[in-house]
Amino acid sequence: MNYALLAPEITLAIVAVVILAIGLMIPKGPHKGMVPLTILGLLLTMGVTGGQFAANVHGTFLNGMYYADNYASFFKLLFLTAALLVVLSSTEYVQKLPAHRGEFYALILFAALGMMIMAGSGDLITLYIGLETMTISFYVLVAYLTEDGKSSEAGLKYLILGAVSSAVLLYGISFVYGLTGSTVIAEVASSLGSSISPAIILALVMVLVGFAFKISLIPFHMWAPDIYEGAPTPVTAYLAVASKAAGFAALTRVFLIGFQQQVYGGSPEVVLAVLIAVTMIAGNLMAIPQKSFKRMMAYSSIAQAGYLAIGLLAGDQAGVKAVLFYAMIYVFANMGAFTVATLIANAQGSDQIKDFAGLARRSPFAAAVMLISLLSLAGIPPLAGFVGKFYLFSAVINQGWVSLAYIGFVMSMVSVYYYLSVVKTMYMEPGEGLPKIGLGGASKFTLFVTMIVTLFIGIYPTPLAQMAISAAKSLIR
Amino acid sequence: MLIEMHASFQWAWLIPAMPLLSFLIIGFITKKWPQLSSTISIVCILTSFVLAVWIDFGIFFSGVGASLVDHPFQATVHWLTFSGVHIGLTPNTFGLDFGTLIDPITGVMLFVVTLVASLVQIYSVGYMHGDKGYARYFAYQSLFAMSMLGLVLASNLLELFLFWELVGLCSYLLIGFWYFKVSAREAAKKAFITTRVGDFGLLIAILFLFNKFGTLNFVDLAKLMGPGFQNAIVFGGMSYLTLTAFLLFSGPIGKSGQFPLHVWLPDAMEGPTPVSALIHAATMVVAGVYLLARTYFLFQHASPAVLEFVGSLGTFTALFAATIAIAQNDIKRILAYSTLSQLGYMVMAMGVGTMTAGMFHLMTHAFFKALLFLGAGSVIHALHEKQDIWDMGGLWKKMRITGTTFAIAVLAISGIFPFAGFWSKDEILGTALKNGHPVIYAVGLFTAFLTAFYMTRLFVIAFMGPEKKENHPHESPWMMTLPLIILGTLSVVGGWVAIPAHGFAYYVRPWGSVYEPDPMNWTLAGISVVVGLAGMVSAYGIYNGKESDPLAAAFPRVHTVLKNKYYVDEFYAWIIKNIVDGIGKVLYWFDIYVVDGIVNGLAFLARFLGNWFRKAQTGQLQVYAIVFFFAVVALFLIITIGDGQLAALTQLGGVR
Amino acid sequence: MVDNFGAIGIILIFAILFPIVMLAIPKMVAPRKPGKEKETTYECGMETRGETWIQFKTNYFLYALVFVAFDVETIFLYPWAVQFRKLGTFAFVEMFIFIAILLVGFWYAWKEGALEWK
Repeated sequence: MNYALLAPEITLAIVAVVILAIGLMIPKGPHKGMVPLTILGLLLTMGVTGGQFAANVHGTFLNGMYYADNYASFFKLLFLTAALLVVLSSTEYVQKLPAHRGEFYALILFAALGMMIMAGSGDLITLYIGLETMTISFYVLVAYLTEDGKSSEAGLKYLILGAVSSAVLLYGISFVYGLTGSTVIAEVASSLGSSISPAIILALVMVLVGFAFKISLIPFHMWAPDIYEGAPTPVTAYLAVASKAAGFAALTRVFLIGFQQQVYGGSPEVVLAVLIAVTMIAGNLMAIPQKSFKRMMAYSSIAQAGYLAIGLLAGDQAGVKAVLFYAMIYVFANMGAFTVATLIANAQGSDQIKDFAGLARRSPFAAAVMLISLLSLAGIPPLAGFVGKFYLFSAVINQGWVSLAYIGFVMSMVSVYYYLSVVKTMYMEPGEGLPKIGLGGASKFTLFVTMIVTLFIGIYPTPLAQMAISAAKSLIR
Repeated sequence: MLIEMHASFQWAWLIPAMPLLSFLIIGFITKKWPQLSSTISIVCILTSFVLAVWIDFGIFFSGVGASLVDHPFQATVHWLTFSGVHIGLTPNTFGLDFGTLIDPITGVMLFVVTLVASLVQIYSVGYMHGDKGYARYFAYQSLFAMSMLGLVLASNLLELFLFWELVGLCSYLLIGFWYFKVSAREAAKKAFITTRVGDFGLLIAILFLFNKFGTLNFVDLAKLMGPGFQNAIVFGGMSYLTLTAFLLFSGPIGKSGQFPLHVWLPDAMEGPTPVSALIHAATMVVAGVYLLARTYFLFQHASPAVLEFVGSLGTFTALFAATIAIAQNDIKRILAYSTLSQLGYMVMAMGVGTMTAGMFHLMTHAFFKALLFLGAGSVIHALHEKQDIWDMGGLWKKMRITGTTFAIAVLAISGIFPFAGFWSKDEILGTALKNGHPVIYAVGLFTAFLTAFYMTRLFVIAFMGPEKKENHPHESPWMMTLPLIILGTLSVVGGWVAIPAHGFAYYVRPWGSVYEPDPMNWTLAGISVVVGLAGMVSAYGIYNGKESDPLAAAFPRVHTVLKNKYYVDEFYAWIIKNIVDGIGKVLYWFDIYVVDGIVNGLAFLARFLGNWFRKAQTGQLQVYAIVFFFAVVALFLIITIGDGQLAALTQLGGVR
Repeated sequence: MVDNFGAIGIILIFAILFPIVMLAIPKMVAPRKPGKEKETTYECGMETRGETWIQFKTNYFLYALVFVAFDVETIFLYPWAVQFRKLGTFAFVEMFIFIAILLVGFWYAWKEGALEWK
């Protein structure tokens, strides 16, 4: 029992509890001092995790129930980065919240903790605990605007559907336990061998569905648009970026370690490919008619989940690397776009695309960051999204799924249409009478960081690619 | 083999980085302060110059130069890795690096580019004084310097191509610098589009090489070249390498203004004169020659027909441009055609098999042609934008420094002993004869005569002709004359590097080649000098003291053809108007009705499907949950059937 | 294969037909005489009073949640208490951390007024 391996989780847990306690102790008010504290805590945790990553720590816990490897560390860094960007971008937004400002940060930290546990767990029950820690935090976060009907509705919907998906996942886990007598993923794999039976398939499907809900693969995506639209904008960003990545972190480990022989080469692989194709096609198509930016981004994020799942389908080192790489750059691109949306929501109280009109004049910097983020999401070179998609598609082509790559290419092109429609609104339409968008220091910093990273990784992707390779190698040897 | 390398080599990346820094600073911060901007730019390029000299010292004077020929120094950073893609000879993974490659060729180019760029920037302080776009001008100059130096240092073809396009962009920006002039805008577009034709072939050649060898690194490519690739016939009896070499050569045809893509260079004179000196005489236009030198291994392994073609085209261009230059009256246009002619010489040198002489001529030409352009700029500056040589005259007495340096340059380009041009031109012609190309030698010699003739014509009319009353010429400020003096000195001594056992040829030669000392053939040299002198004397005799062109009166028809540059531009205009436009119209119709129809149809379909899919999103929680559960069941059934487990399902789920 | 799929087909047909038949027979056979008593949802038990769609206080939930939290804590405490001597100091400390975290939550609930009936 080497507790040093758990250092990131322990650090974050302590930070989160302390932040919660501080939020209780200081008098009710703007709670401004909590932002630097939260950031400090996140940076501390990132430092610990980064240290583990750099040292290439590789350890297991309690007979394989918990891993501390580079794969987990990479995802932990991703979650922490996302949390950090969310905290930074939402500082002004939180000031306008009606109540409970103090808990906002604690909840974000608890959600991050849950994700970290998901990324590290090598046991289905531990995984489930992490998943619930994350999801319950999100239930609260989504329904944060108690005065706003849409937010409450979104919260309730998420609660019910989330519970449904958790139930299915738990049912699947119980099947696995019944079939193999273990919930440790590695033991499940050795116990199952290459055998297949309807019961195994049922377990497999249920586990898959539990995560497919989180990563919003079609047809388990129905919750996403409503909840993305209703949730407070920074929470939507966090949900789209981190929660999805956490789903991938867990699903990839379960599939590639636990059900490797059942999934790949058989019909589950084909079914997964079909799901991915449908997700890419329908996600992108449904984004086109949207009027609300957040709703559009919800469909966009569904489509992005389709791209990401391509790497999972490839199922080899290159595929995992591509997933890791893309998930990381997705954080920055999406956070850039959502930070601008948060600014708009703050200044104009709206998330309609038409309210972005004239942003190029009202705040050229924000408009530029939005442009770069959206183009990166669409996969236009020389931005990071292009490299990410390149890795994903080349990985899956190498596994023989050329058709899927073609669909990905074509749908990327389709996605340019709705991304650019936002750009068109920002740059071409006058937007008279709309207020100037003031950039606070934290928002400016967030925008700057996301833009620089998106550009830099696009031009020189090797450092991140090396990190992703090292992480992928620790998962698949 | 591990070679002790000079400490400076790893810092080569700083050379292009300095102008880039200056570009960023001027572009983003100091563009409102012109003087500060130009100072920053000059300080940065001078730093690069010092670094380049340091590196050149390492190459040529620290004893590693010879080993660099066989083992160039490379410092690379990994740029991109693509795993799981099979291309060419690489097994499974290939990567692209970004880095610097240092060998004597690079050393020569670094010196030439940083030197001329520094001098031109200093010169520009005087020349561009008071221009509205002063800061913008220096920003572009810095960007160009960065791109050109990046091109020179590039360690692989893709990197080279990137910078190749960047210098093209800078050329476009600087030709069209006075964008309010219609002619400048048109010339910029013409230059950009014409060179793009050649770049297209170059890009295809790069893809060909990549496809076959899976790498673009020069050193690796050179190692992989072998006779084995000769045999595979791909197209019309040409081997893969031969085809690739032909395609690659189309890059230099465009960039270095070889016939028939030479038309852009004379028009490029619309840019400020220092720009013409830097970009369109000394550096960018020789990028094509540099590319030939860099990829010389490819031409050596391709069929000999390629090099023959290269040599013939170069020779033709040299003669072709020289004849046009005789009949031109615009001082800058004469120099432009002279540049084309000299570029033809360099390409000719490559073609007859002496990369050494080509690079040598590149260097000396950079000195005297930059000098000629800067001198012309000084004259134009003094005469308030008059460019017709018949409007000049009598400048010799008023502008002593400009006149003297200009005279040196004329002697140098005419190949008079012991000026710089003599050594390099003589080496080209000598090698042509030695390697069995008597026709090329003869044409080259005749071109040398023409060169001496038209340059003397220019000098006699502009500097020695009768003084014009309306002109009040004055010598330019020291910022403009200092570069002239420096370049004048180099135009005298620049060729002497060839003297002691031919040090230049010892270093600048193809990778892996064996150095063979090549003693001067004094007979041939004597013939060259005599021919040059003959050209000068005849020009002096014809033009001295004349007010108009006597040749135009004597041979009106020939003169008209030459004056109109053989009507090549008109021919292109006719083709474009009648043929390309016709095709364009057909394609336009096709685009409007077929392509747009398909695209619009697809867009409509996408919108329609999007709307249709959207209907499923009712907002009702129950519907969501039902879809969820049904999807679970459906997935289960599909996979079960797909895995052939349906039978087992009928037996209580197959749980044993 | 054919045999197996044949079996499935028979099961499928039977599965579809059986409920239809079962629903159809009463429709055909049974007499239909609707009355007020018969139309009610539940034919026996207590009469409902007022609207069924009523709101009730969320404090119930809050109490329930706090209760569940401590319930689970107790469940953890039992096995720990049984094995307490064997597990030693480490487990003792661990349990205190666990309780401390729980107490922060409890403190939060208290401070936010979850335990006050308003």
